[in-house]
Amino acid sequence: MLAVGLTRGWRAPLLGAAAALVSLGALVVFFGELIVTHVPESGLKLLVGTLLLLFGLRWLHKAVLRSAGVVAMHDEERAYQETVGQLREAAAGRDWVGFVLALKGVFLEGLEVVFIVIAVGGTGKSLPVAVAGGVAAMVVVAAVGVAVRHPLAQVPENTLKYAVGVVLTSLGTFWAAEGMGAKWPLDFVSIFALVIIYLAASRIAVTLIRRPVLA
Amino acid sequence: MSFLRAAASEVIGLFVGDWVQSATIVVILAAGWFAVSHLGAWALVPLVLLLAGQVVWFARAEARRSSR
Repeated sequence: MLAVGLTRGWRAPLLGAAAALVSLGALVVFFGELIVTHVPESGLKLLVGTLLLLFGLRWLHKAVLRSAGVVAMHDEERAYQETVGQLREAAAGRDWVGFVLALKGVFLEGLEVVFIVIAVGGTGKSLPVAVAGGVAAMVVVAAVGVAVRHPLAQVPENTLKYAVGVVLTSLGTFWAAEGMGAKWPLDFVSIFALVIIYLAASRIAVTLIRRPVLA
Repeated sequence: MSFLRAAASEVIGLFVGDWVQSATIVVILAAGWFAVSHLGAWALVPLVLLLAGQVVWFARAEARRSSR
């Protein structure tokens, strides 16, 4: 969004981002309400828990490989500079290029947030709170982007994704097992034990496969 | 059309990176479901250990693949 705005002007990318946000909001309202009102609780927990587990383990897997130096850390600064370079090379003029790029970027990145909001809000029967959390995160990211006019290169992205991967994997395991009819000892306190177990497993994996850090 | 394709592959990509790993997770969950219905909460211990174990297994497998 910053790359498009700074190279092609702000009107088209802002419209593209707004269109993407409206589409994402519609997804949350439609699927959130559908799930909360029509799916039985145990089935919902099993389905959402399984999806959350797959989603969280995917993040955790990538974070482990990055931490161990098996794959390069995601470099926001380089990705930003590459996008700026491509946009400067592209023929200037047609505003829809900026519109589509911003729409695509915001929509595709936002799908992950939409899934987390629907999964957490739908399973916990607290969709408005989950939506508020998602909106607050979006406002913070937008505010930082506007304030520094620079990609969020200073944010330790891999550490954040590592932590979120562990938490989502733990929540997914907790809900999937509840959906199967299991009762966790100490109820939701078990989530903390799951966090410790997944964190320990991921650190063992990092230790076993560690290589010199790639740039 | 290409946007819809990109969105569809992005949605699938949210949950599946390595099809073998995803299938393994689903099989562990299915076995866990069966075990929970017969053994109750005790089945949660092997379920969690298997899920945690596959994190280590598939990370090592990918590290080996990428070193070739």
